[in-house]
Order: sequence, then C-alpha cells, then structure tokens
Amino acid sequence: MFKSEEMEINLGPQHPSTHGVLRVKLRLDGETVVKCTPVIGYLHRGLEKICENKTYFQGQVWTDRMDYVAAISNNLGWVEGVEKLFGIETPRRARYIRTMLTEMNRIASHLLWLATHALDIGAMTVFLYAFRERELLLDLFEAFCGARLTTTAFRIGGLREDLPPGFVKQARAFQAIFPERLEEYETLLSENRIWKKRTVGVARINAEDCIALGVTGPVLRAAGVPYDIRKAFPSAAYAEMDFEIPTRPEADTYARYLVRLAEMRQSHRIIQQCLDGLPEGPVMAKIPKILKSEVNEVYHAIEAPKGELGYYFVGEKGGVNPYRMHVRAPSFVNLQALPKMIEGRLLADVIAAIGTLDVVLGEIDR
Amino acid sequence: MRLLKTLIPGDIAAGLALTGKYFGKVFFSANRKKVRAHLKHFTQEYPEIPVRLAPRFRGRLTLLKDEQGEIKCVCCLACEKICPTQVITIEKGKMEGRKMPYPVRYDFEMERCIFCEFCVESCGFDSIILNHQFELAAYNREDFSLGMEGLGQNMFAPSPVGKYSVAED
Repeated sequence: MFKSEEMEINLGPQHPSTHGVLRVKLRLDGETVVKCTPVIGYLHRGLEKICENKTYFQGQVWTDRMDYVAAISNNLGWVEGVEKLFGIETPRRARYIRTMLTEMNRIASHLLWLATHALDIGAMTVFLYAFRERELLLDLFEAFCGARLTTTAFRIGGLREDLPPGFVKQARAFQAIFPERLEEYETLLSENRIWKKRTVGVARINAEDCIALGVTGPVLRAAGVPYDIRKAFPSAAYAEMDFEIPTRPEADTYARYLVRLAEMRQSHRIIQQCLDGLPEGPVMAKIPKILKSEVNEVYHAIEAPKGELGYYFVGEKGGVNPYRMHVRAPSFVNLQALPKMIEGRLLADVIAAIGTLDVVLGEIDR
Repeated sequence: MRLLKTLIPGDIAAGLALTGKYFGKVFFSANRKKVRAHLKHFTQEYPEIPVRLAPRFRGRLTLLKDEQGEIKCVCCLACEKICPTQVITIEKGKMEGRKMPYPVRYDFEMERCIFCEFCVESCGFDSIILNHQFELAAYNREDFSLGMEGLGQNMFAPSPVGKYSVAED
C-alpha cells in the first residue's frame, strides 16, 4: 500500500539559511540525507581574471568583494603577497595597526557567524546582541578608512594614513566592554538545552578527514589540530604577539562554537597588546609609483576568520599586473566537508552544518 | 519523562531574567531623554536626525575650487589612470589667463564607482575629494553620469535626494 522511494530536493539558492546563494542538492530517504551535492557558481564574477588585467595597486579593491564580512583580512593577504613579490619592507607601526585591524575584523566576522548561526538554529536574541557589538567595530573601520564593509584599508608598503584622532580611545572603549558581552552570549547559548540538542554531536568530521579535504580554520581546530597560520607562518606583527590557539577534541558543531568564542577572546588579547605596545614611527615605506615585476611567483597565506586564505601571484618580466593570480579561498575548500558531515544524518542538521562551516558565497564563487 | 524534563522552567526563567533585565534598562532610559551617547543607544532616528559620519567617510566624488572660484584640477590624468573601474573621463583644454590646463569636461560615471578613494590619493594638487554625501539614489540611469554642468546632478550640487545628508565640514 505504501511505497517508499528516495526523493531529491533543492536547498537554496534562495533559502535564507544557506547564507547567500548556495544551492545544495539533497537526496532524502524520509528525513535522512542519503546524498548531498553542493552547487556553486551563482555569484561568480571572475575576480581572478579581473585582477590579472589590473595593476597591483588596483587589484586590491576586488579583494574586498570576496569575503565581504572580513574585507580587512582579504586586504592583508593581498598587500602582503604583493610586498613579498617585490621585497618591500613595511614599517613596524604599520604592521601593528594591520594586525590590530585584522583581529578586529576577525571578531566582527565571528560575531556575524554567531548571529546568523544562532538565528538558523532558532535563537533570535543572540542575533541582535551580536550585531550590536559588530556595529562598534564597523564604526572603528569607518573612522580608520572611511568605509564599513568594502574597506580597502591597507596600501602596498604600509597604510594610507595613520590612525585618526580618537581611534585608540574608541578602541579601548570597545575593549573594555567586549569580554563582558561575550559572557552574555555564553549565558544565552552555552548551557542552553535547545542549543545543545541542536549542536552537540551534530555534523562531526574528524581530524583525518579535515586534513584530507584541506579544511582549515576553526573547523580544523575544533577537530583537535592546533594549526594556525598566525603561529605557523607569522606575518604582520603576529610573531611579537602572545596568544594561544584554542582547540577542542570533539569535532562537532558545539566544539566549533566554543572554538570560535575562544578565538574571539584571543583576538581581544591581541588587540589589547597592539594598543598597549603601538610603536611610533612612519606608516608608509618608500615605494615606487609603478611596480614592475620580474619573472617570479609567490604564494602568501594568512589566517582569515574562515581559515587559510592564500594569494598566488605569478609576475612576468616588466609587467605592471600579475600574469596569473589565484586565490585559495577558505570557504571554498571548507565547503567540501559538507557532504562528509551530513550524509546519513537528518535534514535539520544540514542547516546547522552550513552554519557551522561559516561559508561566504562571495568568496566561494569569486 | 523527557517532555517533563524539557518543560522544567529553570532554563526558561534564566532566559527570561536576562530579557527582563534588558527590557528594564531600555524601558527606563529610552524615549525619556534623547541620549545619543556612544555605547548607549544603537539605533539612530536617521531621517529625522542627520547621521554622524566619520571624517574620513567616502562619499561622492567632487571637484574642488580655489579661493577665486576656479577649478583646481590641472588635467594631469592621474585619477583617470589609477581608477580601478575607469569611471573618470577628462578632456583637456585651455583657458584665457591661466597657465595650467583646464578641464573642459570632467565626467564621472557614478553607477560604476566603487568609492575606493584611489583617485583622491593619486591627486597631487588636492583638487578632488570624496564628500560626505551617501544618499545617491536616482530614478534614471542618466542621472548617474555626473559632469561639471548638468540639470539633474552635477559635481557641485548636492544629491537631489540628499535631504538628510550631513553638512559639509
């Protein structure tokens, strides 16, 4: 009388909890996911090709538009990659300010993740609280470089301008309130029974699978691997900073939540160290007006909020623009873990898994 | 049994206590006096009260004039060259009684502008800035082509919908 068969459904690309235009093809047996195929490319703009036709100075503005919630991290990767290609030394003060702003951006990105992830799973209040703190950081970005999201914050060789007057005071005000706000989120979520039911043991992926798939960032660290580019290959002023790499052994959604919260605390520590030990001096190195490269190739990776963000440049002789530019985008690589996480689990866990991977489609499709 | 465990009001009470704390805070402070101090209120009554923007805010491109009311631009074309999206077009010209070249046309295609401020940075004569106007919507596509003269929008006039923008400083 009853027929049982597998059903194929689409999640997205307009579904609000797919964080943009991610489409996931799901083959379901009842409520269990049998097969999952992410379909990407709805936001493809050909950024890599565009950057090959622009000079090294101009290309930076397109990096803002990749991971648009962490534009400053993208800027850092671009400018440091180009500086590596041309052997430019950046002043120490500029490196400190870069470190500070990148860590602020990490907090802003993680807050947006926390807000939307909690909203997907059903906790509305955290969304509003997290956006409130993110607003303070966006105000700081606006004071520093004039834009909130598409920052174009750094320049090749240093910074365009020094910190604006009042910036340090405003940043210290944020530093003073942030730990207490972070505890507030924890009172809302960490011991919340509904939150734990939706996250503990959900979307597991172990360390071997993470490494085999190339997954980096908080997802890898929540599987117990203490790999962080800030420690492994320190750039900017990270070598002078004192911080820890938070890890968890459980490798589930709840562990990733705890790791990201711990990372926000570490970022808070780094910002405090930058503010206290801010050196005096110039913020811009002497660089030529036109950068002409030799035949050379460079790969430079930084720790973006989502994982390892790498820029690969190939320069040609006398060229003012890169012959080839490639971005190793963390969201793109991390998304590969999605089928591994959710096949054999329930449909409701798909939403939690997409949220916990913290993907940004602007970066995946580029 | 499991249902009973879920319905134990401890967690609900703890959650509601926090909500109540914030409700009290907001209820007793908001709308009584319009305190808009930093870190206190996060929502701004934007259309009624003009927003406060950072001094470095990047808005619409504007040509500057010197004390005599003459355009400072000398057509070095640095901004045209650096612009990542090629939105600036300058036509060089001569003017009576002026040594430096004078822009006959200075066109700015705002629809493609990404507000990166590279043009301002490249200018060696401080003759352009990005001002603080951010209400730049228009009904027609032609309105986004700004020139030195024009009926709808031109470089020197404020944006037609910019009623609430902050004043220049």
